[in-house]
Amino acid sequence: MPLLKVENITCGYGDMEVLRELSVEVAEGEIVSIIGPNGAGKSTLMKAVFGLLHPWQGAIHFEGRDISRLEPYQIVETGMCYVPQVANVFTQLTVEENLEMGAFVLKDGDIGARKEKIFELFPRLKERRRQAAGKMSGGERQMVAMGSALMLDPKLILLDEPSAGLAPKMVDHIFERIVRINETGLAIMMVEQNATQSLRMAHRGYVLANGENRFEGTGQALLNDPDVGRLYLGG
Amino acid sequence: MNATQDPTAQAPELTPRLDERIRAALQTRTAMAVILAGLLALIVVLAIVQDVSAGRILSLTVWGIMLGGVIGLGSIGLTLCYGVLKFPNFSHGAMVTLGAYVTFAVMQALPQGEVLRPFSFGWEFLVALIVSMPVVGVVAIGIDRVMYRRLRQRNASLVLFAMASLAMAFFLRSIIYLVWGSDFRFYYEGRANPALDLPFGLRVQADQFFILGLAIVLVIAVYLLLERTKMGKAMRATANNPELAQVRGINTERVVAWTWLMGGALAAAGGAMYGLASQLRPEMGFWLLLPMFAAVIMGSIGNPRGALAGALIIGVAQQVSTAFLNPAYGPGVAFILMVLTLLIRPQGLFGGTE
Repeated sequence: MPLLKVENITCGYGDMEVLRELSVEVAEGEIVSIIGPNGAGKSTLMKAVFGLLHPWQGAIHFEGRDISRLEPYQIVETGMCYVPQVANVFTQLTVEENLEMGAFVLKDGDIGARKEKIFELFPRLKERRRQAAGKMSGGERQMVAMGSALMLDPKLILLDEPSAGLAPKMVDHIFERIVRINETGLAIMMVEQNATQSLRMAHRGYVLANGENRFEGTGQALLNDPDVGRLYLGG
Repeated sequence: MNATQDPTAQAPELTPRLDERIRAALQTRTAMAVILAGLLALIVVLAIVQDVSAGRILSLTVWGIMLGGVIGLGSIGLTLCYGVLKFPNFSHGAMVTLGAYVTFAVMQALPQGEVLRPFSFGWEFLVALIVSMPVVGVVAIGIDRVMYRRLRQRNASLVLFAMASLAMAFFLRSIIYLVWGSDFRFYYEGRANPALDLPFGLRVQADQFFILGLAIVLVIAVYLLLERTKMGKAMRATANNPELAQVRGINTERVVAWTWLMGGALAAAGGAMYGLASQLRPEMGFWLLLPMFAAVIMGSIGNPRGALAGALIIGVAQQVSTAFLNPAYGPGVAFILMVLTLLIRPQGLFGGTE
């Protein structure tokens, strides 16, 4: 049984349809990369999975449980976390407070120990723990955003364009961390503009266009597919 | 929103024109602080020119700080409410009035005890104050449930929220007129409250020190709550980025309720203190509304510390200017300060440059 199963969902904003009968699956411990041109509905898919939008039709199951009617604050408690593409940190809160807000739903417990784990993964955050997140560089913000999402020790993490707006060196660093996070057993579903690089690290991938699923397969197969290459990888 | 993610956005412009440079320099925080300090100095100089004694100017300054404390308690609630709910609550002045009158009502129900020298009030005032704070806080939550929450659920526009709060201000004021009438009320009618004899010709009542002390204690309490507790951090997080707060699992409706509770309780404390320093009138809070908004804007909307700083500046400016101006122009002084802030540095003293 897959960890996340998105089945034939149709959804959008107001009366504008963005996704049409789209199906996506993520198995445990997998990195799944969603690529496609602008406006294909990649971010909308993330929002629908996380309950920020509710599908008009179809269903979303997480660990066999139907979550398509849950609100984001309920979905957080099921063991799934989401890192939005923009405005993904509390700019006026310190790094440490951002991480604490990541663990908001925890009633008690080892928040200190969890923070240390995040600091191990991103040592730079430890140096700047008392700094306001809004005063940090784009790459550091991305670390804060991912760190906050990891505070709950989720089973699945949704990353919306983790490399957007970052310098190439920082992109490599963030991707390397994503692989490392995945190696601890966490499943990752990510949306990326940086298609080639993200397919290279993904176990499987989906190519979205006009709200529909055009291609799917292993990361390598999609990279080698001449149609995918010509249409979406710029080569 | 997140424009700073783009590294090129931070690149400094090359050699801006002179007028642009002057304009940019005027908009810095330092420039605004200098202008405000200059304005306060101007008020003092005007007072001296009118042959007002140094002792009186000093006394007025101390009273101004006290008035600033009262305005500050109101404006902290106002700025928190704006931060979390993103609308200017025009009924906040009415909450101040309500707090003053609820304190009055509780005092009437209690037996009058001995006067706590050197203050002019007895323990019944303190009990009434402590009772009225949560009462007004709960009233604020109740108003939110019947009105603002419905508007939120319908994604109503900002204008609708502002108009609804204005309506609520008139409604609350009418209720106060109905229950307590339009006559002035006093917590202690005809009780002598002599000023203490202090050095430098300073004439200040012990009550005024109490008011200032309590304002400081409450402000510190709010500060600790916002900085140290989980709910306080969640309030700041929700004010900063409501959508992300939801994504992180923060129940925003609970944050909203806490915001109203705190805002209402602080407004009530401000009202009771204002009533103690002068008298109770159904429009007392309405006249505080303008100084409160001025303080909120001056200290950057949504920033509690800024609101307090703004309130102190406005309190002092208002009081000291009474040395040569009719006190009825007090709100006018606050208004001038607000307009100046909006012209020079609309984001206020503590706002970023984003």
